[in-house]
Amino acid sequence: MTSSSRVLSGAAIYFWLALGALITLTPFALGLLTSLRSPQQFATGSPLGLPRPPTLANYTGLAGAGFGRAIVVTALMTAVIVIGQLTFSVLAGYAFARLTFAGRDILFWVYIATLMVPPTVTIVPLYLMMAQAGLRNTFWALVLPFVFGSPYAIFLLREYFRAIPADLIRAARIDGANTLDVLVHVVVPASRPILVTLTLITVVSQWNNFMWPLVITSGSKWRVLTVATAGLQSQYNAQWTLVMAATTVAIVPLIALFIVFARHIAASIVVSGLR
Amino acid sequence: MATGRVRTTALGYSLLAPSLFGVVTFLLLPMLVVAWLSLHRWDLLGPIRFVGLDNWRSVLSDSTFGNSLLVTALFIALVVPLQTVLGLVAASMLARGLPGSGLFRTVYVVPWICAPLAIAVLWRWLLAPTDGAVNALLGRRVEWLTDPGLALPVVSAVTVWTNVGYVTLFFLAGILAIPADIHHAARVDGATAWQRFRRITLPMLRPTLFFVLVTGIVSAAQVFDTVYALTGGGPQDRTDLVAHRIYVEAFGAAAVGRAAVMAIVLFAILVAATIAQHLYFRRRISYDLV
Repeated sequence: MTSSSRVLSGAAIYFWLALGALITLTPFALGLLTSLRSPQQFATGSPLGLPRPPTLANYTGLAGAGFGRAIVVTALMTAVIVIGQLTFSVLAGYAFARLTFAGRDILFWVYIATLMVPPTVTIVPLYLMMAQAGLRNTFWALVLPFVFGSPYAIFLLREYFRAIPADLIRAARIDGANTLDVLVHVVVPASRPILVTLTLITVVSQWNNFMWPLVITSGSKWRVLTVATAGLQSQYNAQWTLVMAATTVAIVPLIALFIVFARHIAASIVVSGLR
Repeated sequence: MATGRVRTTALGYSLLAPSLFGVVTFLLLPMLVVAWLSLHRWDLLGPIRFVGLDNWRSVLSDSTFGNSLLVTALFIALVVPLQTVLGLVAASMLARGLPGSGLFRTVYVVPWICAPLAIAVLWRWLLAPTDGAVNALLGRRVEWLTDPGLALPVVSAVTVWTNVGYVTLFFLAGILAIPADIHHAARVDGATAWQRFRRITLPMLRPTLFFVLVTGIVSAAQVFDTVYALTGGGPQDRTDLVAHRIYVEAFGAAAVGRAAVMAIVLFAILVAATIAQHLYFRRRISYDLV
């Protein structure tokens, strides 16, 4: 009796879980299929059928619309921000976790307080500051607001660094290591999981960033993928095959990253709670 | 000893220098600049003029901004409860640990990992009236994004679709952290599955629930990409969320001072909402668990 009701509820659970997966994945599959149709196929056939024959014409069309450059700019921006944010957050996290100095605790609370500052609120003043500095539509404007570290990353690293056994650091010190040596040879290797987490979360949030690049850049020079996709959509509203190719290009690198790091990303999201 | 302390202080500040520069320049200074801007008029290009409280008077008596706040409140009221309940249901099913659960968990997070802008463009096609996939599937023509009564629920649904997997992860982590002994003891005492969920799982999930609700509200209050690409705030401003209104005001209408006022109001509301939930949950958590 109990075992048969259990089997039944197991089947019911699979039914709902599979339905959820279907609702999650179908939109992506349909978008991908449409990106593989020619405009003629799209106009005459059902959007639910398979493209016959599939064509890559939309993707070559994207190259003509400047998407190649947009990919390079986005990748470069993401790389610079990830490296800067990680480096400077590690330095700050170490200072807060392992050094004792005047003003440390007050400063730490200032950092924590800035977690309450929403990006939507700072975008208008940041625009003014960049304009006054003459940095509108430059690569610097894209990266500067994010490259010096993030208070949340610093907070997480501080927690992590505090848990590293003091003996480990003391032993290195006795061997004559200075602070930089300790950081590079002891602290960073001992903190691999949290550093991978922060890298993944930063890549995702920067690759997907839209509002700031949208307002601070103009024209094709420093256009990132999200801005290029939005521009294509409003420019060629009815050319859905081309627009779906653009969407696919914007999405696929992250899905690839996601597949490679699937287990790690789920844990990363829970640890950091950050977009 | 004293020189040692001076040296540590110097070392501490030199390690902090880059991030301190970033925090001050790109997080704290903008909060001062936004307050200053709210007292000035600027059209993005020309000179900046002091206008006193003009922007405040015009924004606070402006029905467009009132509409945006209302739309945002409705949006939050639709999105946050729905994604929380769906996330909790999905997590409870995944927590059974049936074979393949890990795969489902991974699949559900896929929309959340993608650029919200790209997701919005994808759904704009799916929901397109004549050549979109949803209407082809239904076999009828529904104006999902231009019907004034449908647009906000549809934008909310797309947002929920994006967020459910993310919310699920937190509930799943919360459920798995509940000691198995408690459930086991309750089962021995004859508690039904529903009783165990109601009396054990739900109370133990309070901290997770708090986190999910606070972050859910704070992020829903700032949704921009989704409406930018799906509806552009329309039809008839029915999906004109606050973040979108701030953008249109500053970079569409070139009324930067007015946008600054709106940004400050949004900030005040978010801080108040966070503090209110914090007070509420702190009381509830300590009563129930200590």
